[in-house]
Amino acid sequence: MASTTLFRCRRIITMDPNRPEATHVAVREGRILAVGDADCVWPDQEVVQDDRLADTVLMPGFVEGHAHMMAGAMWRYAYVGYHDRIDPEGVLHRGMTDIADVIERLRGHEAGLPEGQPLVAWGFDPIFIEGDRLGRAHLDRISATRPIVVLFSNFHLMCANSAALALAGYDRHSNIEGVVKGLDGAPTGELQEMAAMFPVMRRTGIDFRALTQRPDVIETYAQVCRRAGVTTATDLFAEMEEADVDTLLRVTGQPGLGLRLVPALGAAGGDPERIAERALALRARSTDRLRLGAVKLMTDGSIQGWTARVKWPGYVGGQPNGLWNTPPDQIFALCAAMQRHGVQMHIHVNGDEASDVSLAALEAAARAHPWPGARHVLQHCQMMGADQFRRCARLGVCANIFANHIWYFGDQHAALTIGEDRAMRMNAARSALDEGVRIAIHSDAPVTPMGPLFTAWCAMNRTTMSGRVLGAAQRITVGEALYAITLGAAYTLGLDGEIGSIETGKIADFAILGEDPTRVAPEAIRDVPVLGTVSGGEVHLL
Amino acid sequence: MTRLPLSVVGGYLGAGKTTLINRLLSEDHGLRLMVLVNDFGAINIDAALLASTDEDTIALTNGCVCCTMGADLFMAVGDVLDRAPRPDHLIIEASGIADPAAIANVARAEPELSYAGIVTVVDAGQIGGLLDDAQIAPQIRQQIGVADLVVLTKTDDVPGEVAALLAPLHPRAPVLLGGDRVTPLLLDVVPMGQRVTPSGHPAYTGWHCACPQMRDRAALQDKLERRPGGIWRIKGLVQTGEGMIEVQVVGANCELRAVAGGQAPGLVALGLADRVTRAEIEGWWSGT
Ligand SMILES: [Zn+2]
Ligand SMILES: [Zn+2]
Repeated sequence: MASTTLFRCRRIITMDPNRPEATHVAVREGRILAVGDADCVWPDQEVVQDDRLADTVLMPGFVEGHAHMMAGAMWRYAYVGYHDRIDPEGVLHRGMTDIADVIERLRGHEAGLPEGQPLVAWGFDPIFIEGDRLGRAHLDRISATRPIVVLFSNFHLMCANSAALALAGYDRHSNIEGVVKGLDGAPTGELQEMAAMFPVMRRTGIDFRALTQRPDVIETYAQVCRRAGVTTATDLFAEMEEADVDTLLRVTGQPGLGLRLVPALGAAGGDPERIAERALALRARSTDRLRLGAVKLMTDGSIQGWTARVKWPGYVGGQPNGLWNTPPDQIFALCAAMQRHGVQMHIHVNGDEASDVSLAALEAAARAHPWPGARHVLQHCQMMGADQFRRCARLGVCANIFANHIWYFGDQHAALTIGEDRAMRMNAARSALDEGVRIAIHSDAPVTPMGPLFTAWCAMNRTTMSGRVLGAAQRITVGEALYAITLGAAYTLGLDGEIGSIETGKIADFAILGEDPTRVAPEAIRDVPVLGTVSGGEVHLL
Repeated sequence: MTRLPLSVVGGYLGAGKTTLINRLLSEDHGLRLMVLVNDFGAINIDAALLASTDEDTIALTNGCVCCTMGADLFMAVGDVLDRAPRPDHLIIEASGIADPAAIANVARAEPELSYAGIVTVVDAGQIGGLLDDAQIAPQIRQQIGVADLVVLTKTDDVPGEVAALLAPLHPRAPVLLGGDRVTPLLLDVVPMGQRVTPSGHPAYTGWHCACPQMRDRAALQDKLERRPGGIWRIKGLVQTGEGMIEVQVVGANCELRAVAGGQAPGLVALGLADRVTRAEIEGWWSGT
């Protein structure tokens, strides 16, 4: 007979209202056999007591409802971002606040590289850096011979040193859109958009396809998740060719990974009928560890890139309205096809015009092909107000809200993109809950670092990087925030019956914490240490 | 290594991009074409045509991290460049909402590619509605504005109201394809340095000059800027005091670059017969 393990803990926060707190949880065959105190297991059961978690606080394993697998693989490049970040191995990388810092850090990386290998860095964001714009001359100080490339955090820009520019033949005679030139007529090193970046990427071996769905990439992603206490994570725009699915099945099936992966098939191009068929075929291949079958739709761009589609009065700087990545009539066509075939959709909507159009498309699809349990999810929902949340509630559409944006970009939104008044009601978790919407909150890693407790902190405090509170009326409680990163997110993935709370019968997925997040001050919840995870009963201590 | 010419076919969904590409594939041009498809129409590229003509197509799904870098398309272009042997011409069918210029720009940036034009396909019946739709009209206007050639489909003539809609968006009148071959318009049918008069087909005007000479690069540039508006394409090598200069003109785009000597000079030009005559081209080139 299979053995039963009884974990004793300082406290267990179950997220089950019937027994909100407990001290013991019994696990058999990867599932929760019983929750309660030392006597929670039936008397005739043979039990192995496990005291490794005795000093810890257990929560349901966190669920990251919107992230991308490349969150792990980016770390093969040198990090040069403004914010402190922790890599998959647990090493803290201090943020760099000026260009001298960046150069200093890259010098260190350069010294460790074999001769001839290009140095590639990621995460640089000029919006936070005062003074000079990063240029070729700065990077030339690190090496005049080794190609050096710094990818900006939005991936739409890069800076290359002279050696890297020379590889692509960029010089003062180049007259190419996106190859920025200085007053002296020579390229500054900054390259804008993929067409201009591509020749340098090609010659320095940067291939974004290698950052996803490969065995080592999946393992690194699982590492990132474990450090954040996450036991179920999405990869919210996956290609999933036949070979990719085989790899995903093989790697997620290996013991010790500690992750349940939920990829969503990218539905940005192609015939809607065929996409629906592919999604259904993928769903049939799902395992416990790999949940397939949902699709991801793109609609608009990003607010901080001024490419989100926003309603009147638009951007405060007078920038033109953003760009559709999928035109409205195709959003309608995709929604209709997915709804008809019973395929769940995650729909990227940043601006309020994109969410408006998507809701209209979902309303039309719901009228044409009623499906009460569809649980489609609007993703980001950054500018949605109470009116749009009411439409979500009526349709049973979930909202996965980009709470991390408040801290990372809140000040920029108030000053530069949509202005103070609309920024105050961005990522309006309070309104969503008040209107009866099922919500989750997310990091969109690698856009911001994965860390559900940090995301909860953002939604509870709405503090920006400058230290101000942006929109106090939209704050949610600790209970609501913890629900959003567990059962709430599980609900958006259709997994609330299996994960998201510590209840008898559910999968034994836990986050192992050093403190009880319900008993620390609201502003301290982001500092609650994550000590590891339990995934399907398997303990992963960091 | 010879550079791979890249053409981008843009236009909204249903405008007829795939039909145009299928027509091109079916014509007898003797070239190995590679087609990258990035759109809802992907499945409609005629597989039989591809199979029969040793051509190849790759369908893309526009995948990338959330906020769409559009990286996959470019990575696929890299794969095409790495192929041995390389195809003779690469055609990218842009997605219905894409800015074709953002794609075609890679042909200017990448030293191993050469720019072979943006053709934006416009459905005569659809365009009025699209330009009336405030949500997408800006992106449609952009697609037309950046085109080297606007092709009007699903009509036998250019309706007055369509001409009026397009006039402010593009300096050249749109082209109708009728029953003519599309190869000369879309592909560079004249290999470099070869003295072949392009297409004897009556719908096109061809011109060539065996040993073009020019005092200097600036004078050449100046002359090219004053070329007759009806010329669609000019290509070849011109001997100047500063060495051999390669000339590439496609529609509104004009590119000059210095190349190694040793190749025979020669220049060819091509235009639509109802837009330009051989005498006009000759007069322009030999005049001052
Ligand atoms: Zn997104
Ligand atoms: Zn995302």
